[in-house]
Amino acid sequence: MPGMNEQGGYKCALTYSFPHRFWLMKPSGITKVDIQSADSVHMMPIVWDAQTRIIPPDINPQLTITQDGESVDQFAPWPMLSQPMGFHFGDNAQLNGNGTYTVDVSIGGPSTRRTGSLAENQGDASFTFEFEFNQSTLDEISVTDLSEDKQGTKGAVDVMDMEMLPSSQVPKPDALPGDVRGTATSGDAKFVVTVLEDASRFGGTQDQVYLAVSPRTPYNRIMLPMMSLSGTLTRGGSSVFDGILQATIDPELRYHYGATVSDVQSGDELTITVDSPPQTARHEGYETAFVDMPSMTLTL
Amino acid sequence: METALQGIEHAYERSGKGLVLTVSYSPAYFDRFDEDLPESVALPAPKALAPFEDPELDTPDAVVHLASNTAQVVLGAEESLKGNKSTLNGVEQPDTALTDVFEIVDRRTGFVGDGLPAENAGDAEGVPADKVPEDAPLFMGFKSGFKKNQASEDRVTIQSGPFAGGTTQHISKLQLNLNQWYNQDDRWQREAKMFCPYHAENDVIEGTGDNLGTSSKIDDCKPVDETAREMGVVGHSQKSAAARENDTPIILRRDFNSTDGGQAGLHFLALQRGIGDFEKTRKAMNGTDVSKQSAVGQRNNNGILQYIRTERRGNYLVPPRSLRALPPAQPATNAQEVTDASS
Ligand code: HEM
Repeated sequence: MPGMNEQGGYKCALTYSFPHRFWLMKPSGITKVDIQSADSVHMMPIVWDAQTRIIPPDINPQLTITQDGESVDQFAPWPMLSQPMGFHFGDNAQLNGNGTYTVDVSIGGPSTRRTGSLAENQGDASFTFEFEFNQSTLDEISVTDLSEDKQGTKGAVDVMDMEMLPSSQVPKPDALPGDVRGTATSGDAKFVVTVLEDASRFGGTQDQVYLAVSPRTPYNRIMLPMMSLSGTLTRGGSSVFDGILQATIDPELRYHYGATVSDVQSGDELTITVDSPPQTARHEGYETAFVDMPSMTLTL
Repeated sequence: METALQGIEHAYERSGKGLVLTVSYSPAYFDRFDEDLPESVALPAPKALAPFEDPELDTPDAVVHLASNTAQVVLGAEESLKGNKSTLNGVEQPDTALTDVFEIVDRRTGFVGDGLPAENAGDAEGVPADKVPEDAPLFMGFKSGFKKNQASEDRVTIQSGPFAGGTTQHISKLQLNLNQWYNQDDRWQREAKMFCPYHAENDVIEGTGDNLGTSSKIDDCKPVDETAREMGVVGHSQKSAAARENDTPIILRRDFNSTDGGQAGLHFLALQRGIGDFEKTRKAMNGTDVSKQSAVGQRNNNGILQYIRTERRGNYLVPPRSLRALPPAQPATNAQEVTDASS
């Protein structure tokens, strides 16, 4: 990891590994991205809110790589999911061999609804790293990966616990705020439903409640951003809410989807529909997960 | 200045075969005057137009835009404006040069047309030369500027006041990431992200899109919010069409590719009645509201935003011809009356 920087309420670390193949999402499936011969490293700038240590998936960093003032490569890395790295932005970069490079990471403003202290952090920051690239040490980097015999079996590699780096995990069900009313499963992902009194923080009123859905990967609790979710709440056969669950980043709930409703009573039925699965790119191990996601119904 | 401009105009016919030119002036230029520009001219200073961009804001006094189907014509005209030519295309050139009045602070070059991007691919870093289609008019591989997807000249012409007959011009410099576009995305994604998922699903586009005729058939695309929610991806043209008025675009695009600085880029030059029309169109293209309410990201699956980075922005006024040489902010008389002739 070539270093860490702080600016404008955000911190940024630049991490890297050897080039990876990955998959991009499309409505009818996935597109495989092979490693190209010119690819040198898989670059992953990790940007997080300094106060809450949340990694906001809505802020697309832009990378500019230069060497002695000359441009080498520039790109906006893809939002991605990987078992060892969790949610991150990353892409394979093409360098000119061993040497020292300067990497600029710039971020703009947010584009997902934010609440609490996060709402004030408007972004617009840039970070500069000096990066020493050496092919031989890169080959030695031990990147956590599935061992041969485990490939294709269910289970996930532990999330890399790189010291000082924040994680892209969401809270365990019992650590979520509000009254946790149940968990549903779809396309390997878990969807935890919690109801918070007083929806004023989420654009509602004090006497409304906030119905929050917190999807995560089944073993590592990694957030699953960039979905289109909608919900229907029915009571005694008639609908009391039918609308989209809006992606929101909250200091306590962290990344989740939610809607303001007048109230939730026990026995209410909630149907969660995944109109689009997470549009993040996928590293190996996640290329078939969270793709086909049928709707879920649970009794609250 | 007028003499210098007429010098090159006398050397070539005013057409693509010959030479086409405009002269425009920035807000920084008009700030030199005590008076403000008349209210009929909407020319704010340039600014960032997306939450994720941080462009340099250009403040030259003026921009001369030279265009021709023949590169030599543009280069010759440039030399003549700099006072380096006694004759141009056999026509004697005046002693006055544009550089007697102006100092050159920037020079941007480029090309547009079938086959030119593939031909120039080798001049820029990171262009997958084998992937840019041989016959593509632009680096990203599709035809752009269909007749029916452009504003009319009337729609972009200033209608009243001393600058009537003129227009405003926005020039941005965009850097392209063609590695992701060609080596990582597939054809389906390129079609969906440039036009709309409907076009990709239904194989509407063949090759560079010549088969579409005079329109990008954007009316066939589903509504942007529906596509965003249900497919998780929206197209650039589909989104940009949301800025239309009376079902027609409000900007006239004259963008062209470039390998300036050894980078694959695009000079996005657009003409519109007021800069607000450009800002409105760019806002539609950003799809910020769509990304708030769906799986579409700030840049991911959000048209072509993933692949373009705005490096510079500048706003200009293209005065009517009679005022093209160093116009004051408040010209004394109406230059010319405009009647919306074709409407
Ligand atoms: C690399 C940059 C760009 C490329 C390659 C590109 C390409 C295209 C293409 C292929 C189309 C569809 C065909 C057509 O209607 O002409 C289109 C439409 C359009 N683009 Fe772009 N474009 C780019 C940037 C921009 C920018 C910066 C704007 C300004 C905000 C813009 C505004 C529009 C508009 C207004 C339309 C027509 C929408 C309608 O039909 O109403 N484009 N573009």
